[in-house]
Amino acid sequence: MARDLPAEDPLVRMQRDLKRALKKKPQDIKWGMVIDIAKCIGCHACTIACVAENKLPPGVVYRVVLEEDTGKYPYVWRRFTPRPCLHCQNPPCTKACPVTATWKTEQGAVIVDYNRCIGCRYCLVACPYAARTSDFGEWYTADTAELPGKLFGRKAAANGYEAHPATEYGKKWPERDHGSPVGNARKCHFCLHRLKVGMLPACTTSCIGRATIFGDRSDPQSLVYEMIGSPRVYVLKEDLGTRPSVYYLK
Amino acid sequence: MFWNNIMKNRWEKKLIILAIIGLVVGSWGMFQRLAYGHLGMNYGSFVPWGLWVAFDLFFLGLTAGAFLITILTYVFRIKLLANLGPLAAFTVLVTLLCEVIIISLDLGHPLRVYRFLITPNVGSMLFWLVVFIISMWLIYAPWFYFLIREHLIAWGNDATRPGHKVYRFLALCKTAYTFQDRQRDHRRTRFLSYLSLPIGVIFFGAHGAIFAILHNRPLWNSAMLPLIFIMAALLSGGALITFLAYLYQPDDKLIHPLGHVVLLILLTFLFLEALQIFVGYQSKITGIVTSLDLITVGPYWWAFWVVHLVIGSAIPAFLLIRYPDNSKMVATACFLIIVTFLAVRLNYLIPDLAVYKLEGLQNTFFHRRLRPEYVPNLNEWLVSVWVISLGLLTFLLGTRWLPVIQAGRGEEEHV
Repeated sequence: MARDLPAEDPLVRMQRDLKRALKKKPQDIKWGMVIDIAKCIGCHACTIACVAENKLPPGVVYRVVLEEDTGKYPYVWRRFTPRPCLHCQNPPCTKACPVTATWKTEQGAVIVDYNRCIGCRYCLVACPYAARTSDFGEWYTADTAELPGKLFGRKAAANGYEAHPATEYGKKWPERDHGSPVGNARKCHFCLHRLKVGMLPACTTSCIGRATIFGDRSDPQSLVYEMIGSPRVYVLKEDLGTRPSVYYLK
Repeated sequence: MFWNNIMKNRWEKKLIILAIIGLVVGSWGMFQRLAYGHLGMNYGSFVPWGLWVAFDLFFLGLTAGAFLITILTYVFRIKLLANLGPLAAFTVLVTLLCEVIIISLDLGHPLRVYRFLITPNVGSMLFWLVVFIISMWLIYAPWFYFLIREHLIAWGNDATRPGHKVYRFLALCKTAYTFQDRQRDHRRTRFLSYLSLPIGVIFFGAHGAIFAILHNRPLWNSAMLPLIFIMAALLSGGALITFLAYLYQPDDKLIHPLGHVVLLILLTFLFLEALQIFVGYQSKITGIVTSLDLITVGPYWWAFWVVHLVIGSAIPAFLLIRYPDNSKMVATACFLIIVTFLAVRLNYLIPDLAVYKLEGLQNTFFHRRLRPEYVPNLNEWLVSVWVISLGLLTFLLGTRWLPVIQAGRGEEEHV
């Protein structure tokens, strides 16, 4: 029994894999993710971590956990399937964009240039996985009472946190309501800003069941490469030919 | 004829007042859109396209009137319909104007449209749609101009006519219109008409293609959809031009053949639509059947059965079959087709978007923007009212102040 337990925390190994990957030439890296749904307990910690990391406003979400009920009472089950952007190797969303505001990087991550996106939302319609959301400019603090002259109230609450967008893609974005990313299509970007500084994506580090494995899928020594080779592996909507970089284990 | 003119003037004034009221009322929605962006609208990330995109398709369909006239005139040689050329071309310009405004309002960053020029994605159908919208402008704006130029010059020379200096300016200060000028303008309009035929087919087909190429949208993903969109455009555009012909050039010789054509297109469109529904249901693919159920037995079943099929199809078909020689009945049938056509556009657009594309998505992350239920809210309707009113006002004032009707008379001789 004890031999079945991993010798080290998968996070430690993934961290080591990441360090090794970052030493390679950028074009030689191919980011990939494997999600073991047998290990996912549906805690939604990855969703929350992603929302916090990217300071996502209401209605914008990069990583949801799908919940399905199967079976018939009394033999019922609940299956959880975390769904980030699948970073397809044949992405329908990038082909749809009329102004090349979204594309696949050489490392395989599908990203959005917020300053180029015109907000037509065709990519949202084209994505088979509903992995893109549009930022309609909503605020969590919109219903907070306004108390003029006080240190607290709507404006103070907003200024304390959500008025200042996260540094997605390693860039400083203007104060919320003053341009992009409000009005843009938004999506998971594999936390490229974290990877750049040697940190794993927020969803990966927050997964308490270690169900999310991330790394360079072109590195035979990496955990993610090993997992992709598992006979349990499958991808969502394989018939569409999108060839996702996010794999699942049954 | 006399009675018709009196009626026309009376209705024109009423319609102008109605359009101004529409602009005033709709300005609240415009204020909401311009001041707060998309915050006050009901569409979300699962149904990212709503009422405005449906109106965009509606307006673009209405542009097909001129295309139909061109086909009938130059392909089927019904020369009499050439009289409607300037009216049809002007209608195209007004409906394209409405389309451009409403789709710009639907964009998250409308001021970035220049991106189509500097970072185009030639692999995107949406890019090509924009190319063809611009092509339509480039064809129909000069077409319209060359058709009315003779009258512009004449009006500019008429010192007793109010605003004759404006007409002189519009005629580019030209004071004489020679036989050679007339021949040259006719050559130009004929060339643009021929050019509009392939461009028009691709333009109307490209609308359908935007939806049809998406293999994740089972209801849309069909080679038949572009054809259906071409027929839908011809139907709504043909009905509009017939109705306008009745209002502005109430000549039975014009209206009756148009009525026959509209009936033929209506029946063809219904046949294609029935085929799509039949094939969809027979495929038994969950995504398609769920979308079709939303159309036929969903909460808005009445939009399909009552608005589209009864008021917008069965009654017009009955009128067009029973009273083919009664211009008033033909115009009534066409009016019913136009006013109900938004239901057709909404029924193509929303049902596929309103079905979850992944199992389990409905049980996660609750937010009103992440739900498949979509009903346009007051702001969306008000913006639509504003755009329609602007189009109506432009059309009414344009037909008053420009030689739109006068220029058409005698045009068949030159075809």
